Amino acid sequence: MKFHAATFCPAVGAAIFLFAGTSDRAQSLPVGHATDFTSNQYFEPPNERLVKMKLSGAEALPLPGGLLDIRQLRVETFTLDGQTQVVVRAPQCNYSPFDGVANSAGHMELQSGDGKIHVQGEGFLWRQTSSSLTISNHVHTLIDMPGVMM
Amino acid sequence: MRIMKKTILFLALGFGGLLAAQTNAQLTRLDLQPTLSTNAPPAKAKAKVADAKPKPPTEIDSDSADFDLNAHLATYRNHVVVTDPKVRMTCEWMLVTLPSGGEHLSHVVATTNVVVDFTNEQGEKYHVTAAKAVYDYKVVNTVTNETVTFTGNPVVDTTNSTIYSEPMVWDRGRNHFLFTEPIMKSKDTGTNGPAQKLF
Repeated sequence: MKFHAATFCPAVGAAIFLFAGTSDRAQSLPVGHATDFTSNQYFEPPNERLVKMKLSGAEALPLPGGLLDIRQLRVETFTLDGQTQVVVRAPQCNYSPFDGVANSAGHMELQSGDGKIHVQGEGFLWRQTSSSLTISNHVHTLIDMPGVMM
Repeated sequence: MRIMKKTILFLALGFGGLLAAQTNAQLTRLDLQPTLSTNAPPAKAKAKVADAKPKPPTEIDSDSADFDLNAHLATYRNHVVVTDPKVRMTCEWMLVTLPSGGEHLSHVVATTNVVVDFTNEQGEKYHVTAAKAVYDYKVVNTVTNETVTFTGNPVVDTTNSTIYSEPMVWDRGRNHFLFTEPIMKSKDTGTNGPAQKLF
């Protein structure tokens, strides 16, 4: 998966924050403090105009090593027909735009697009390239559909 | 398949009730609702249409979990506890295939120290242990097949008896257990005698 484009909507005082480009070439690094930003990841061709994942946050602070300290993270993934697949939220996380990995020792929540599955836990690792999420501790899931288990 | 070759014996009885047997049968069905007669004909399989009745959410707790959003898989690890109003299950590992836009989970695998506790509609309690449990849900021609297959030394413990069977299938749609070469220990005698084969 590649970042084919990125868009940011910085608020007042926000600034210089850009991670556009693709994973196989150098990305622009954030060099400052940003607020209320959004980054879109698109599907591979021929669906390159369709948003596959939207990553947004209320605030981003640059960290050593090219990492970003993101507050109020929200990751939303979409299906090819534009339906929301899942929404992941976390009050804080560290995000590496180079490899698309976000992690945090804090709280996180996941909700399916149809609202029938809700997961929360403490400590997570989100791998953007594989759309996988690991929750390390105290995982609690609510599934609102019949026949879940025995 | 071995099971298909066996004569199917239908037992219309509750765990706390009567036992009726036929010889040469190695696959046994045990209904979970009480029946008055031991000579009752085989219970008719009732086609269960999709249950539209709403129910409270099911909760899953675990130490950790992995979610593969591309493959629609959720893997729960360590101290896994599944609870809903009627059933409680614990295990150490559980794989859930999440429906992609579906209305029903179709496949769940639970392994390692699987323990299931539930109460049937008559208030009878069941305690099932096994090394592995596989839940499958399928709708074919409007008929729902919903089963849980227990393997790895499965045992079902009730108020009055303990039944061993390998494998043990809980047909949830028809509300009965299917046993293969079951061995039952009755609790009514109060003895600790050796386990006896049911049939």
